[in-house]
Amino acid sequence: MKPGSTAFYRLTKPVVFLLALAPLAILLLRAFELAGFGLGANPIEELLHVLGRWGLKFLLLTLAITPIRRWAGWNWLLRFRRMLGLFSFFYIFLHFTVYAVLDQGLNMAVIIEDVIKRPYITLGVTGFLLLIPLAITSTKGMMRRLGRRWQKLHRLVYLAAIVGIWHFYWQVKLDTLDATFYAAILLALLGSRIYYRR
Amino acid sequence: MVIPWVGIPLASILKKFDPNSKAKYVNFKTLHDPSRMPGQKRRILNWPYEEGLTIAEAMHPLSLMAVGVYGYELPNQNGAPMRLVVPWKYGFKSIKAIAEINFTSRRPRSSWEQAISSEYGFYANVNPEVAHPRWSQARERVIGAGVFAGKKPTEMFNGYGDEVASLYAGLDLRKNY
Repeated sequence: MKPGSTAFYRLTKPVVFLLALAPLAILLLRAFELAGFGLGANPIEELLHVLGRWGLKFLLLTLAITPIRRWAGWNWLLRFRRMLGLFSFFYIFLHFTVYAVLDQGLNMAVIIEDVIKRPYITLGVTGFLLLIPLAITSTKGMMRRLGRRWQKLHRLVYLAAIVGIWHFYWQVKLDTLDATFYAAILLALLGSRIYYRR
Repeated sequence: MVIPWVGIPLASILKKFDPNSKAKYVNFKTLHDPSRMPGQKRRILNWPYEEGLTIAEAMHPLSLMAVGVYGYELPNQNGAPMRLVVPWKYGFKSIKAIAEINFTSRRPRSSWEQAISSEYGFYANVNPEVAHPRWSQARERVIGAGVFAGKKPTEMFNGYGDEVASLYAGLDLRKNY
């Protein structure tokens, strides 16, 4: 079975799908304190951090498809890109939902104040809003309907990734090692695109 | 206080050393042992972790030297063998695993103050009206309340205003955050 074949895709797609859901499954075990799992002393903060990181990890994975495809010649990777991108949106949507519903109890005055007054939250919400049109236009029908404009629109993902990782960096209290690591990967992925353009 | 700490008033320890009038502040240091505290292997803060109180704060009956919690000896991660509990201040003031205590005439600079003095000051009194530069501190979630508990308004001095507000009479708490 060759990696590019439809049979290969049919087999691997559900595996990748389930793997991408694993972080959520573990988080649910932790949230409901099942099987000895737990979220620690500050459960909401832990939920937010884990969901946000997975959102960014899937975003970086999505952006890694094209460079790896070029570098290794694995064109079949392209078939997984949409699913990974949608999982990024899924985790970031959950991250935002936990913030708005569980953390702030849908208190709109507090949320609006946060978005206006706290730069790292302004960035985070901006990144989330940028991803919404991309998720909506991710279907085959939308791709067909938008034609050339689809590709242009989906370049917003670069901006969303920059804003998202910036949000992570500004949120950290002091130890910026992790956020710097995410930023370095993003820089490498964007840099490879500039390199291949020449 | 939400957490049932077990301990003795800090003052009862300090008084044994008969501090003289030059003792304006008390400085505390955490054990610095990266082999047993692996978080100290990276220089995130200037180890050893340091904290300080004014002598009046340290002698206040609410300042507790804790050796246990929930009726048990302190677990390592909660600051064994003894830690401070200063209930009207933000948590980072309640220094853990104390290895050294000094009286000093000059105001100590705590580790967080050394790292980012624009965000973490010496006093760090719980104050809903003074936001941390990056987040609001006006509302809080009670520890242990779980994922679905909402937030409640933060109380000035964490609800101990009657007991401790007099320590800060005439002090601009906006400047001395």
